[in-house]
Amino acid sequence: MTIQSGTPEAPLAPLGDTSSGVGSPMLVDQRSLAPRRDQSNELVRSVGPVVRVAYGWISKHFAAVLLGMILVAIIATFKQGGLDLMGQQLRNALVLGAIYALVAIGYTMVYGIIELINFAHGDVFAAAGFYAVFIASTFHLDSLATGSFGGLILALIIVFPLSMLGAGITGVVIEFVAYRRLRDSPRLAPLITAIGVSFLIEGIMLVIEGPDNVATNQADWITGTAFTIGGVSVAWTDIFVVGMALFLMFALGEFVRRTRLGKAMRSTAQDRTAALLCGININRTISATFFIGSALAAAAAVIYSINYGDLKWNLGFHLGIIAFTAAVLGGIGNIVGAGVGGFIIGLIYVFGGSIFGGEWSESLIFAVLVLILTFRPVGLFGVEVTTRA
Amino acid sequence: MVKPTKRALSFASIAALGVLAACGTSSTTTSSSAGATGIAGCKGTITVATDLPLTGGDVTDGPYVQMAAELAVTQAQQAKLLGGCTLKYISKNDSTVLANGHSPAQGAANITALASDATVMGVVGPFNSSVALAEIPVASMDHLALISPSNTNPCLTVVVAVCSDPSIKIDTASLYPGPHTYFRVIASDVQQGEIDAYVVSSVLNAKTVYVIDDQQAYGRGLALLFTKYYTADGGKVVGDASLPSTTTTYTTQISLAQTEGAKAIFFGGTSGDGCGLVRRDMGAGGLNIPIMGGDGCQDTKFISDANSGAVKNEAEGSYATSAPDVTKLSSSATFYSDYAAAYSSVAAPYNNATNEPYTPYGYDAMNILLQAIHSVLVSNGGQPPSSSMTFRDDVVAALHTTNYSGATGQQSFDANGDTTNTGFTLYKVESGAWVGINTYAVDTSGNVSVKTS
Repeated sequence: MTIQSGTPEAPLAPLGDTSSGVGSPMLVDQRSLAPRRDQSNELVRSVGPVVRVAYGWISKHFAAVLLGMILVAIIATFKQGGLDLMGQQLRNALVLGAIYALVAIGYTMVYGIIELINFAHGDVFAAAGFYAVFIASTFHLDSLATGSFGGLILALIIVFPLSMLGAGITGVVIEFVAYRRLRDSPRLAPLITAIGVSFLIEGIMLVIEGPDNVATNQADWITGTAFTIGGVSVAWTDIFVVGMALFLMFALGEFVRRTRLGKAMRSTAQDRTAALLCGININRTISATFFIGSALAAAAAVIYSINYGDLKWNLGFHLGIIAFTAAVLGGIGNIVGAGVGGFIIGLIYVFGGSIFGGEWSESLIFAVLVLILTFRPVGLFGVEVTTRA
Repeated sequence: MVKPTKRALSFASIAALGVLAACGTSSTTTSSSAGATGIAGCKGTITVATDLPLTGGDVTDGPYVQMAAELAVTQAQQAKLLGGCTLKYISKNDSTVLANGHSPAQGAANITALASDATVMGVVGPFNSSVALAEIPVASMDHLALISPSNTNPCLTVVVAVCSDPSIKIDTASLYPGPHTYFRVIASDVQQGEIDAYVVSSVLNAKTVYVIDDQQAYGRGLALLFTKYYTADGGKVVGDASLPSTTTTYTTQISLAQTEGAKAIFFGGTSGDGCGLVRRDMGAGGLNIPIMGGDGCQDTKFISDANSGAVKNEAEGSYATSAPDVTKLSSSATFYSDYAAAYSSVAAPYNNATNEPYTPYGYDAMNILLQAIHSVLVSNGGQPPSSSMTFRDDVVAALHTTNYSGATGQQSFDANGDTTNTGFTLYKVESGAWVGINTYAVDTSGNVSVKTS
């Protein structure tokens, strides 16, 4: 037993723990560390503990450190361009963050339940945007939505469920074809098929939709300025984007918390074998997870299309990777974490770009990803789970 | 040092060209004068080629230029410009499926294949500067003349300050391992940047500007050149951002431009890399100032992208410079009618040469190449030189002495192969289409003025 203590399966006993007595894993570890300590010089010996304490402190207070940095960035923006610039960038950040958050939830749900990074998720997002364009043109929703407020509501009631249904089915099919048979294979196998499915979907969209931006004609569905505070005007679309994202996230949270299927999803995520023994249909639960995750991506795509007005065949890849970072930031597998992570990534993207220049936006996001994985691999809202990415 | 020999050679070719130049674009009369010089007895096959992007994302540009160049060859064949020699034409496509458009690797492979054919005496192309970077060394090694209808990157021919910028890094000298065989019939971005700066500061009267570029060699280079000349003109750049082509929203930059009090936005890059999307986000952000771009923005993609947002006619009033609008020049009238007659059965939009500003440049580039080959034949007693390498060197030497009056105006080359026919036209979006306003030219002392002819 003692010999196996260093393997990843069994966590090491804390270094200061002496209660385990003679023959405990701790003793073995200390002996193996001893020669290395002798070789180290004075400087390292004195700096080492300081670094370790600092590392521990940052790990423990990672959320506070990150939020502090964002706060500093917001204040710096205020110094740079006054209240107007700060308000405008805050609005830009929330709109961008809302879309990242909805996409991030799909990554986190799938990871939570089968521990797979579903690289095709971003492309399901882009495909769903094209479904929405198809649905809108089939039912002539563009003239309906721009005609009157009632017509807009009706158009939204038609386009949201139908494109969510379409994307949901796409997600279920992808899981059935590409992931189900590989569920018990080594981790690498489904990861590779996920990348393969991602390229396949992108290729299909490239052939059908062409290489350029495709105008969706949905950007004029919601127009006008809701209110203006000082030099910051907030459009109705901004309110729609953020409001819709918050509503969908709340609805999902309630669904997972309160329904039977939600309970089945949670138990499958916790322990698949145990859930199976309790009589939960694992295949159906996993399919449902893919359906819901993809449907949320579709909702994000419709919101994206109404806000920006165009889509591109490779849009999902890039946006997907940023949303994935949001999921990791929040603690992959944690739905609330993904939502909050999305908004934080939006803030970093916009305020980072505003202060350091747009060319740094993406570098900052991935720098944060490195910091999370170094200091707090479980993410802001992460809880201890057996294995991590 | 080479000047004396060049001059000696040029007498013969200028004499020959002088006769031809008078004929302008109507090459039918060329044959009678050419036939008289004794090349009717010319024996052998001479091949000219084009290397242009014909498929994928470049399908809206390349095919026009290819068809115009092919038209020039057909006319030369009918007029027996090369006398008794057979004139052959090869069309190469540097677009690949994988790149979904022009590919430098494919371009270099095309030039290698053409150069290995001993009858090939010159190539019209490439269309894109990035492809030129890969093709120029190959053509130089094989002494093959390369005439681009559209490359605007200055670093392809001369070293200017922007070439050493870390984001561009082009070592011009290393592009030419052999002789300098590269020519272009369009002015470079040095002039375009200067004209863009002049337009923003003096025509649009915007003294503060926010600059965005697309991180590409063309876009970044143009933005840097614009900034250089704009600040020299007394303008102030209030902020800049260099964003990748994957950027989907520019709201952060629009807010910055708004609060910094920019009176215009300059975009260095192509509409495929976000030019139109910047305009779209300006509409959504309520920023009502002009946007100005280079020839990468002047296309239909810009208009459809800009109009895809909340404001349906957001593209209206946008500005961009591009290849000089020669549709109004009297010299181009024959070309446009010849093109329309030759391709009347081709499906729209390719049956109308005015849809692509670079079309007449493809035609002139091919004519210049054919005239150079013709002058070499004439000065060599009506026969091709015995060795194909000598023939290619003679063609390059003849190109350096070009003085050709074509559809795009008077074309001749300086020592670097750059055209002396400088100028760019300012276009504006009016009623959903780009409309040429004025053509500007830069004189030798760096003054920009409206070009009248």
